[in-house]
Amino acid sequence: MRFSLFLLLAIIYLTGCNSGGDKLPVLGFKTTEVREVNGQQVIDSVDYTVPGFTFIDQDSNTVNAATLQNKIYVADFFFTSCPSICPKMMKEMLRVSDKYKNDNRIVLLSFSIDPARDTVARLKEYCGKLGIVDSKQWHLLTGNKDSIYSLAKQYLVSAAEDPDAPGGHIHSGNFILIDTQKRIRGYYDGTKEESVTKLMKDMDLLLNEK
Amino acid sequence: MELEKKIIRYVAPAFIFVIVAIFIYNLASHGWIPHPGKSTYQVQCAQCHGDKGEGIRVLIPPLKSSDFAIQNFDSIPCWLRHGISHEIVVNGQSFNQPMYPIKLDDIQVANVINYMNKEFFHSDKEISSAWVRERWKHCEQ
Ligand code: HEC
Repeated sequence: MRFSLFLLLAIIYLTGCNSGGDKLPVLGFKTTEVREVNGQQVIDSVDYTVPGFTFIDQDSNTVNAATLQNKIYVADFFFTSCPSICPKMMKEMLRVSDKYKNDNRIVLLSFSIDPARDTVARLKEYCGKLGIVDSKQWHLLTGNKDSIYSLAKQYLVSAAEDPDAPGGHIHSGNFILIDTQKRIRGYYDGTKEESVTKLMKDMDLLLNEK
Repeated sequence: MELEKKIIRYVAPAFIFVIVAIFIYNLASHGWIPHPGKSTYQVQCAQCHGDKGEGIRVLIPPLKSSDFAIQNFDSIPCWLRHGISHEIVVNGQSFNQPMYPIKLDDIQVANVINYMNKEFFHSDKEISSAWVRERWKHCEQ
């Protein structure tokens, strides 16, 4: 009797461990879709995915869906003249880029929310200051302003022009983790070392996910 | 017997007093009582210049042992008030990224400069908020 109780508890404990922990959640609201399967209509739930885009990076290369095919990527929003949180975010993103330097499954994207001032030349100069050499992995992006702002919204983070804010823009300091199917798998505070360390742990989990 | 009583009455309290004083001195000098400029530094400066004043690559200059800051020490209050928007050379490396004005009062500036003196500039110099106000009168803009 006592032994079977122990066994039961052990089983609950072990299965409890297996079911959670090592798989990242899928974030964003789900929608439903009516599909036809074998001639019958079924309602299926569909995960939220982020939309595609076409922008230009610091080396004048076009970055679009093809660049991101089968890649896990981390995105953030910044601008080169940002007086507040961006330097710290860049420093943290450098840690991510150092860790995954030669890993071609990973891409890093930093979208400028001040694309009018952040020309390709200016992004290139900024990369020089940060020592970003591998433009195949880390793209700093500029393009149409409205497209970038609407993209930020679809990544579910805030970005806006605000003349009262230092540097004229306000934006979130989040790093957003996206999987190969364009689903949002995590938000991390790009200004906090612990949070970015967690991001790198989660990236490892995601790389091993089947 | 009398001597022993005297020792207990006078020497022992003095002894305890000295121990406590040394203890408090140690607390302060080993940084267990945080420097008054430390929290201002961590909130207002560390996101760019780093907790240890190390800077970020060639984007943000280091404060640690910065020859530029040590040689132009008297200008620091103006830099913080008006920002820096021209090329500068720190320890042989040139930097050109604007630092924007930072809203701090005279006391906060004095505290943060004294903190840098101690942590980054290897100096015991202590400046006052009156000195900061005086320096502000001579800013170039
Ligand atoms: C948003 C980022 C940022 C913040 C916050 C910031 N700085 Fe700076 N700081 C810079 C940049 C960039 C430069 C270089 C300016 C240039 O290249 O012309 C600089 C230059 C300096 C310099 C002169 C160069 C050197 O390294 O000696 C000092 C001193 C300095 N900052 C002190 C401070 C102090 C003290 C604070 C906090 C009260 C602070 N800074 C906050 C970005 C920042």
